[in-house]
Amino acid sequence: MHKEESRTDLGLIRIHKNVIASIASLAATEIEGVKHIGKNLKSGLLELIDRQTVASIKVEIDKNDEVRVEIPVVIRYGFNIPEVASKIQENVRTAIEKMTNVVLKDINVNVQGIERG
Amino acid sequence: MRIFTVLGILFYSVIIILVGLGLIALSLNILQPQDINNLLVYLQENFNSRIVVGLAGVLLILISFSFAQLILGRFQREKTIAFTTASGEVTIALSAVEDLIRRLAGIIPEIKELRPDVIATKKGILVDIRVVLKSEANLPELTARLQDIAKSKIQEVLGLEEQIITRIHVAKIIATEEKKRRELDKQEPTIPYSGYGRA
Repeated sequence: MHKEESRTDLGLIRIHKNVIASIASLAATEIEGVKHIGKNLKSGLLELIDRQTVASIKVEIDKNDEVRVEIPVVIRYGFNIPEVASKIQENVRTAIEKMTNVVLKDINVNVQGIERG
Repeated sequence: MRIFTVLGILFYSVIIILVGLGLIALSLNILQPQDINNLLVYLQENFNSRIVVGLAGVLLILISFSFAQLILGRFQREKTIAFTTASGEVTIALSAVEDLIRRLAGIIPEIKELRPDVIATKKGILVDIRVVLKSEANLPELTARLQDIAKSKIQEVLGLEEQIITRIHVAKIIATEEKKRRELDKQEPTIPYSGYGRA
């Protein structure tokens, strides 16, 4: 699995995609109006096996080391979707940049459903 | 495309029924293992029949493959409404919009059941709503209200300026009062031998 790398005087620091996905997941669920992170078939199966909850968040790192994150979410009923999505994007960007120094190119939010909060 | 799906379902149903019948016949001793053996031997002995069997196998694999793709493709091809922000793209699954409309059933008490179907077209967002109503509802007033609420709710929550066309189909009207009365009649206790008069 592709990892984000950075070199220091002492050696190499690798940040696994799952770490970025975990940060994105936590940052997204912090936002008021987000019910939970959405699921797909793969994440559902993985959750059954080892309770991995970030499998549905896609993290792509291309050749130019540009990182693209795709977050599926379920929004609480009554909230304005574009507003919540925009807050998610901002919070995820801030959290990832703050914790990993990784600069994100795109943060795509995919609203999968609406549930009563 | 719909006809292919129906044909595919029919094809698989026929195959599964044949397998089931074969197993039942085997269990009832109607079909002997020797018969199956004879058939297989016959199929393998003749060169032409071997070709036919081989081609049938290939055809079965192809049909299964295309049918599986047809079904899986339909599941994967989930329609969305998308817009771009400074940080990236936001896509909203049409099923999320359907969830949103489904919640309206809780707001309007006259609605017993509500089934929305949302399609994104070039003209705008097309919302088809099938509703089951309670008998006391005034249809023109209620449907107009439902259209208004659905439209304003979608615009408010999605923040989109696109045209929203709402079509309502009243699928059923449930007679609630009549039903209640019938239930009450059922519950009323009956006195044994009440039909007999005194002499």
